[in-house]
Amino acid sequence: MGCGVSKSNLFQKSDSKAVTSIKAAVLIQHWYRQYVARMELKRRYTWHIFQSLEYSGEQAQIKLYNFLGYLMDNFTPSSNERNLISHFFRENEVCRDSEWERFFDYKNIDVPEIYSGPHLTFPLTLEQGSGLVDAFRNKRQLHSRYVLQLLLDTWRLLRKFPNISRVSTCQSKEITICGDLHGQLEDLLLIFYKNGMPSHERPYVFNGDFVDRGDNSIEVLLILFSFLLLYPNDVHLNRGNHEDHIVNLRYGFTKEVLTKYKMHGKRILKLLQKIFSWLPLATVIDQKVLVLHGGISDTTDLSVLARVDRHKYVSALRPPKKRHPSTANVSVDYEEEVWSSGRRRSSVALPRPLTRGTFQNTSLPDFSDRVRPPVGGAAERRGRLALQGALLGGSQQALGAAAGTGPSQDSGESSDHSEDEWKQILDLLWSDPMTQDGCVPNEVRGGGCYWGPDVTDDFLSRHNMTLIIRSHECKQEGYEFCHNRKVLTLFSASNYYDVASNRGAYVKLGPDLVPYLIQYQASSKTRELTVRQRVGQTEHSALRVLRKQLFSHKSDLISAFQDLDKENTGLVSLKDWAEAVEGVMHLGLPWRMLRSQLISRRASDGAVDYRQWFTELAIQEPNMEHIEKGLLEMLYRHRSTLETIFRIVDTDNSGVINMEDFRQTWKLLSIYLKMEFTEEAISDLAVAIDTNGDGCIDIQEFMEAFRLSDKKSRLERGRSMFMGTAHDLQRPETVDPDL
Amino acid sequence: MADPAAPAAEFSADQVEDFKEAFGLFDRVGDSQVAFSQVADIMRALGQNPTNKEVRAILGSPSDDDMANKRINFESFLPMLKVVDTAPKGTYDDYVEGLRVFDKEGNGTVMGAELRIVLSTLGEKMSEQEIDALMQGQEDENGSVHYEAFVKHIMSI
Repeated sequence: MGCGVSKSNLFQKSDSKAVTSIKAAVLIQHWYRQYVARMELKRRYTWHIFQSLEYSGEQAQIKLYNFLGYLMDNFTPSSNERNLISHFFRENEVCRDSEWERFFDYKNIDVPEIYSGPHLTFPLTLEQGSGLVDAFRNKRQLHSRYVLQLLLDTWRLLRKFPNISRVSTCQSKEITICGDLHGQLEDLLLIFYKNGMPSHERPYVFNGDFVDRGDNSIEVLLILFSFLLLYPNDVHLNRGNHEDHIVNLRYGFTKEVLTKYKMHGKRILKLLQKIFSWLPLATVIDQKVLVLHGGISDTTDLSVLARVDRHKYVSALRPPKKRHPSTANVSVDYEEEVWSSGRRRSSVALPRPLTRGTFQNTSLPDFSDRVRPPVGGAAERRGRLALQGALLGGSQQALGAAAGTGPSQDSGESSDHSEDEWKQILDLLWSDPMTQDGCVPNEVRGGGCYWGPDVTDDFLSRHNMTLIIRSHECKQEGYEFCHNRKVLTLFSASNYYDVASNRGAYVKLGPDLVPYLIQYQASSKTRELTVRQRVGQTEHSALRVLRKQLFSHKSDLISAFQDLDKENTGLVSLKDWAEAVEGVMHLGLPWRMLRSQLISRRASDGAVDYRQWFTELAIQEPNMEHIEKGLLEMLYRHRSTLETIFRIVDTDNSGVINMEDFRQTWKLLSIYLKMEFTEEAISDLAVAIDTNGDGCIDIQEFMEAFRLSDKKSRLERGRSMFMGTAHDLQRPETVDPDL
Repeated sequence: MADPAAPAAEFSADQVEDFKEAFGLFDRVGDSQVAFSQVADIMRALGQNPTNKEVRAILGSPSDDDMANKRINFESFLPMLKVVDTAPKGTYDDYVEGLRVFDKEGNGTVMGAELRIVLSTLGEKMSEQEIDALMQGQEDENGSVHYEAFVKHIMSI
């Protein structure tokens, strides 16, 4: 051994043994510390990848919502497009609460003898409560009759609660607070295992985001609600931004309920909509510690929040419904007022053609400037799109239209009030802390604010409090303090981005109000992996997802490269490559650092052959040669948005839409995405999917038909991956056996 | 063959861009700066091997308070990176040679226990946690480490 060429002269023959030992030790130590630093780097950018993709998905959702709002403002009521989605914006029925109770009646639902799940009688007993937990642990499903019953009782109970729950730690009780669970039943069971189930002696606060993304959202909800019914004074639920039917459409909860409860899913969802709107907004412990889901802004005022009619805000993403003053318990949609009073918008069959230049991000139009005049000097924080005031903008115009109509003279004033209240709620559910002072709109998510340490200090002193506990953001250790330990972020869904991506945590507060944190990680798999393996596995998943994202923006990327490659050499420098990619993707990722993972071949001077690059990224296209390539790419890229729109169009939540609605959907999309779809192309699509020729498209089938696979990983594993909603993207169906 | 003890040439433009990106990843505040306390880690992530003492000296011997609170931007950081770049880097054979020192029986293995003692008492002492992480999965049933495989494994990151 000892190849003279490759060895440096670190070890001299003349060195004494002691000296050699020390040199050897130092060598290893140096190496190791370098290795740790590099792992940390990897971990950071992997995290960054998942988080950017998650937030850009949320942003996309809000943009979609703005688009629909835009349509509502610009189409006549008779046009097909408006009808398609108008139900979505209307709480259509004019109903008293008692009528709703009839609608949700469960008594005529029979429970068949073969049903093997738990049977419930009401009022619930403790045995039934823990029985339910056991049943779910054993993968049973609760029958829809009991679900409706349970939900009805929950609804009745929640209506009695104030907006802000007040709790005390008297009697030396420790309160346990949990963060986001996102349908991850395993984590909830782990918490109960470690900490015990809720009881008089063991009060709990659950801080929102119980549903979406995970596979057991309904089970998590049912467990939380049953404990709420058993211990109404000791279990406190705060609303999260995912307790919102609009968000649920995209992030999996709606789909989960409709899949598990085919017959009664629609009613269950409707009832849940009401329940969500009745969830309390925050919890205050010993008047000193504030627990809420997202955060605060510089205008957050607990006394305002205590007074709002929280149930008016069925979705935090919609402006509040206006109350018709003469009918107290009845909700009337303000839009009905506008139309019925004879004020109509100038009718346009289709909006005028939108040019590329209108939008900043060509792949997803931002309609915020269409719903109100753009704010001057919209800042681009971290290179992301500014959606400043997007939601407020939408409401301003809509409310502005309502104000000035006949019925209510003081509508102007109440619309101001409503708007302020709405902003308070939005901030509460969607905001994130930042390290700099100040308070700016949170354009990454598209709702709420970023608030700084000065805002925290001011808020705490105004309200005479000492600590804010919030959730909303995934943290690697399950929790994180910031703002000089005055704000605690708590996240209870472990392995959220991927197996072993992060721990979960819960906090216990005793009368001394000193937070005591407990961490955990569900799934025995992760404990067997070394740090390196864990980081490696997560990195692998993140990159896989990223490659797909890149591929789905192929046309935009190629044209960006071509802009830089004026002489048409087919090559771009590394610097240009990184700039172009960021310019198209807007994810704020360290592309240079990722290059060795994303590009395998480079010229000796580091230049990138971009056409070649796409062959590498390569996705196996589905068996639809007759479908135009541009269309396929568009479908693939916007599959989440597509699915969301389908579900909106599917008015009876049956999972199936008819051919006519299918065509109308494409018309909607062609406007939204500024792409021309020929009638032919759409027919081809329809025919391809409607395999039984009954004139109906099954949404699920449609999405599956466009299953695309990553050629690279297919070669590795010989399997294809299902590309579904954002929910599916972040949770690969199966763990790669090679890892 | 280049004398590894000689100082490296100036960083290329590409290298500087790479460093800048990595630097940006460690900026958790968003002010295009990093804390003094992060500088050593960033340097290591970029392939250098400074000791914590060296880094502190380069930063101008700041107090503990300064280390925790003061921040530095990329333009000030880059020349510091240059300074530590002169430290000789080990190759595969260097590491193997270094570990062979502890190979008492000359059979390609070292005792895990001995390695632990050495790493925690000599040179820039490692903590028990660091050593555990380093050695995880490396010792066989007899508590021995096959060091050539070990080095191959650790260098494959």
